[in-house]
Amino acid sequence: MTTDREPFHAAVTGVGMVTAAGTGVKAAWDRLCEGGRTAAGPVPELAGLPARFGCAVEDFDPVRAVGRRKAWRLDRCSQFAVAAAAEALADAGLDPSGWDGARVGVVLGSGIGGAATWEKQHHVLLEQGPTKVSSLLIPMLAVNMAAGYVAMECGARGPNLVTATACASGTTAIGTARELLRSGACDIVITGGTEACMIPSIISGFSQMGALSGRDDPQAASRPFDVDRDGFVPAEGAAVLVLEREADARARGARIRARVSGYGASADAHNATAPDPEGAGAELALRAALADAGLGPADVDHVNAHGTSTPLNDLAEARLIRRVFGERPAVTSVKGVVGHALGAAGAIEAVATALTLEHGFIPPTANLERQDPKIEIDVVAGTGRTAPVEVAVSNSFGFGGQNAVLLLSRA
Amino acid sequence: MNDVYDRLVGLLTRGFGIEPDEVSTETTFNELEMDSLALVELGLAAQDEFGVKIEDDDIRSSDSIGQAAEAIAAKAVSIG
Repeated sequence: MTTDREPFHAAVTGVGMVTAAGTGVKAAWDRLCEGGRTAAGPVPELAGLPARFGCAVEDFDPVRAVGRRKAWRLDRCSQFAVAAAAEALADAGLDPSGWDGARVGVVLGSGIGGAATWEKQHHVLLEQGPTKVSSLLIPMLAVNMAAGYVAMECGARGPNLVTATACASGTTAIGTARELLRSGACDIVITGGTEACMIPSIISGFSQMGALSGRDDPQAASRPFDVDRDGFVPAEGAAVLVLEREADARARGARIRARVSGYGASADAHNATAPDPEGAGAELALRAALADAGLGPADVDHVNAHGTSTPLNDLAEARLIRRVFGERPAVTSVKGVVGHALGAAGAIEAVATALTLEHGFIPPTANLERQDPKIEIDVVAGTGRTAPVEVAVSNSFGFGGQNAVLLLSRA
Repeated sequence: MNDVYDRLVGLLTRGFGIEPDEVSTETTFNELEMDSLALVELGLAAQDEFGVKIEDDDIRSSDSIGQAAEAIAAKAVSIG
């Protein structure tokens, strides 16, 4: 399949991560490569609820991330984004004091925004009345604020937005960021996703949908593609990538970890929460990403799957992979380790995919003990796999039937 | 007044990321990077602490902590 446009490569020159598997890219990547069990445990805020565990970020220090004078006025989702962006910019070797901020964009994905602030202030409203509600409710709650705060921290005055496509938000953000480079609107885009909503109302909502695992052992509950999978494990976190046009990155001598070389998006137009069982909508996005990169299915070595560990998603996604690629690509889902960080998931997985391309190492899918016999694809399990990977795709599918797929290639 | 000032500094340290050794009666809220919304929040906290109603223009960013303490003390007296 070909495209009438020249392939466009956005260089990934910096990455940052805040995840339950670790804060900082090195800690998180090392933990992903180990596989093993899920970085999950009981979440104090969820005590007493039917769904009481998740993948929480336990080693995160907001004061260290944003400073003590600001920490109290940013919701946790914005704190995560600011921390991951700072790591990514340092990793890229970019100094915000020396750049033309008008050429720097910020595009982050978030499913829900500052939900913890909203829930807390709703209690204040009910218990103490409207005149006690925080004046910071709106700037802490609004879903766009994470990108706003990242811009304030580094003087990025270019296009600034947050994409909301549920569990595909981070992937949508990165695809959108690449378009801002391709169109010439920006020279640098800080992109990724953030989510921090492990609070009673949101988690109860997911639980009531039947979307969450009902297993007793938190560390064995996220088990993508396993025959005994029964739902996802909620997570929080953020991941940020710094993207530049490849020629610009090479001209300044930047280290390029990988390239974002294709993007496709689509809608199932099928059901609010259930995926199209044949994955027809997801296939549109996948094929669009291939076409955008000017590549065909045979070029793809690796799939970083959405792989949520829900019965429906994993089967529909596996069928899609099998139908489009056959048995060839090695597939993994990092959600076995980090859980499902919703609007941040696609960004966490894009960073993992970039590092897979850079290091030639595919992290294993945690807790995959017995692969579902209906899932006829090559899933990396147990220990990770050393393999030269030239081209990889990263899938993300959101409630609402929103699908987004990135194609990354080795630099 | 000194008691009110000390308790106001206590609020700033507990909820607003301010260290006791970086403030004096002369320090303004601007110098502490506290904008109008931060002062609304401080007003809510002060209302609970001192039992007085703080209006929007009672404490401004250009005021010093000493001035704010005086304003609160005056309100407390007028109520008492």
